[in-house]
Amino acid sequence: MMSESDTQTLRQEVRTWLQDNVPSGWRDAMTGVDQESFVQLQREWFGKLSKAGYATPHWPEGWPGGGRSLAEQKVIYEEVARADAPRLIMYFVALYHAACTLMECGTEAQKEKYLPGILNGEIWCQGFSEPNAGSDLASLKTRAERRGDKYIINGQKTWSTMAQYADRCLLLARTDSSGPPQAGQTYLLLDMKSPGVTVVPINQITGDDEFAEIFFDNVEVPVEDLVGEEGQGWAVAQATLASERGLTLVELSQRMRYALPMLAETLKERGLLEDTALRRDLGKVIARVDACCALADQYLLKRISGEEKVGDASMVKLCYAQTLREYTKLGRRISGLQGQFDPDFMRGATQETGNWTLDFMNSYNWSIAGGSNEIQRNIISERVLGMPREPKTWKL
Amino acid sequence: MSELNEYLNELKASARQVMDGEGTAAEEATLWPLTVELGWLLTAVPEELDGLGLGVHGVSMLHTELGRGLAQVPFLAATLAVDALVQSDIDTKAELISRFTTGDAVTAPLADVSTVTLTDTLNGKLSVVPSADTASDVLVCVDDCVVLVKLHQAGVELSARGTWDTTRRLFDVTFSNVVLANQVVLARGDAAVAMIARLQSLRDFALAADCVGAAAGLLDITIEHLNTREQFGRPLALFQALKHRCADMKTLIDAAEALLADSLSRITDEQLAEIDSQLLAKKAKLVACSMFADVSEEALQLHGGIGMASEHPCHLFLKRSMLNEHLGSGNGNYELDIADHFLAQLA
Repeated sequence: MMSESDTQTLRQEVRTWLQDNVPSGWRDAMTGVDQESFVQLQREWFGKLSKAGYATPHWPEGWPGGGRSLAEQKVIYEEVARADAPRLIMYFVALYHAACTLMECGTEAQKEKYLPGILNGEIWCQGFSEPNAGSDLASLKTRAERRGDKYIINGQKTWSTMAQYADRCLLLARTDSSGPPQAGQTYLLLDMKSPGVTVVPINQITGDDEFAEIFFDNVEVPVEDLVGEEGQGWAVAQATLASERGLTLVELSQRMRYALPMLAETLKERGLLEDTALRRDLGKVIARVDACCALADQYLLKRISGEEKVGDASMVKLCYAQTLREYTKLGRRISGLQGQFDPDFMRGATQETGNWTLDFMNSYNWSIAGGSNEIQRNIISERVLGMPREPKTWKL
Repeated sequence: MSELNEYLNELKASARQVMDGEGTAAEEATLWPLTVELGWLLTAVPEELDGLGLGVHGVSMLHTELGRGLAQVPFLAATLAVDALVQSDIDTKAELISRFTTGDAVTAPLADVSTVTLTDTLNGKLSVVPSADTASDVLVCVDDCVVLVKLHQAGVELSARGTWDTTRRLFDVTFSNVVLANQVVLARGDAAVAMIARLQSLRDFALAADCVGAAAGLLDITIEHLNTREQFGRPLALFQALKHRCADMKTLIDAAEALLADSLSRITDEQLAEIDSQLLAKKAKLVACSMFADVSEEALQLHGGIGMASEHPCHLFLKRSMLNEHLGSGNGNYELDIADHFLAQLA
């Protein structure tokens, strides 16, 4: 357990480093620009963070930047939010899901082969969701057929963040369709440069294209890139999906708090400081944001002390998604008609750009992706409140 | 700290047990003597004054448990008045604290709607005073003076107000030329201003705790109803449309509870009068009271017809939540206070 003074020392160290290193004006530089500029900024920022040891605090001891406790990671995340640093969205899957999957379930050879690449800035994407397997991920259909020392992949993945830039893909595919949907899934590491891989970016409602579809046409994956055992893919995916659980939500909630002055700024710019109704709504949102931060914080402290319960994380995510919606909606209301003009988007900005119409639309990322609000509500009602599970069968 | 937490948890468990034994909305006539006998009024009183010294943390925990059971006791009002005594430096303080925590009841208004003016005499009306008929004294805060006034003396008139929330018995207390010199002045000037600020924070935290406890209790009742009530040949709890609303309620409750706990962890008892503490208390109160209102509205709907029957406790929660929203200086003013403070800090 970290002492209060250790935390303070680390906090000060991270804060100072961020002050000196966060690219100034990165939001402006990312507004309306092409993909290359965005990728460039992400690469540079990853390079800096990684060199300073702040990109991999969750990696085990022995790795550069690794060996940080959850309490220390929390400090780093909080400071990143405070400094309004760019989020490493292009590297998120690599640093968290790929790394944690390899460390927990990978062979020594796989670790040696892939982990250094991740540290050097290789980009990974996730090939989980499919057009007909979203919330019901277990029903995925992309096939992996064993032929000799290779798997042959056919099918389609979608909503894969940053797939168009990715070097490698964490692929969940079906090797057996005979049993229940969770059985017969296999976890593979796929080289995105393999013949037969086609990536088609998805144009989003905001103008950005962070996601892509991936098509697989007889793509070959060598057997040594199988993670865990054939047919055990679901368990491998579950074990590592939640590796950053809590940390991201602490960071995002804090970002929301630090961006509150932008709401006030919009209110001022629009000459609405005397509007009592809007000011009251601002007061409401400020208090809600504080509550969301408190819930995320409490959750992470529970994780640190080992008191986390199933479903706790779902409440934090639901709370954040709803608070963010309310928050950005207020910004949109304050912006008024002006908010409907100049539809510039900002690459990789995620939330709180100050373009409230954009931020409002982006808030749906958090109520849909990573387990929609409805899935979280299923988990909360069944796992936290002990209400009965959905019946498995139906007929019309 | 961990020893204190352990002690608090024990106290919480025993309070839960007592309240469960008494049942929802236990009558004042039986629960109040029990509250006194259990020494709950001494929770926040410092040890040197024969209290438990558990401060605002301890007393919040009790407010949560009492809220959970919709306890019909003027516990909050009494703790406010006792705290004012603790903060005062009058000679008779120890004696008065002992009296009000073990025997006679003392009360205080729960909303900022007083019209009382003070010169050499007290005049005007104090509203929203719980159980004034059974109390011997009431705490009165006017501008820069805090005074303890006897309720049963010439010039003091009590008038019971019918309220939708039947878990509280509220009174208007009207003063006509009540001579100040015959009352116990607890503080004047800056000391009184600080005392009043502190009492407001305590009241807001207490109301937040009341809402958190009550909403959690109500959600339990609601889920039990959904789990047992069957329609279309299955328990209502199987319907996703209803489950999802319960999940939302649970998330709102936990967020309000987390905010209350987080706010309390950021301050010490000595800081309660500071502006930052007042703001934390207002946020906690605002979030918890809005949450309780949302939860009790949903709970009534989810109970269906039985929720409209007075024999079912559902309406008691709804009515308490409606009143709670307006206690203190009312949720609307809290929203404005929070926004204006935020805007002023930026300027």
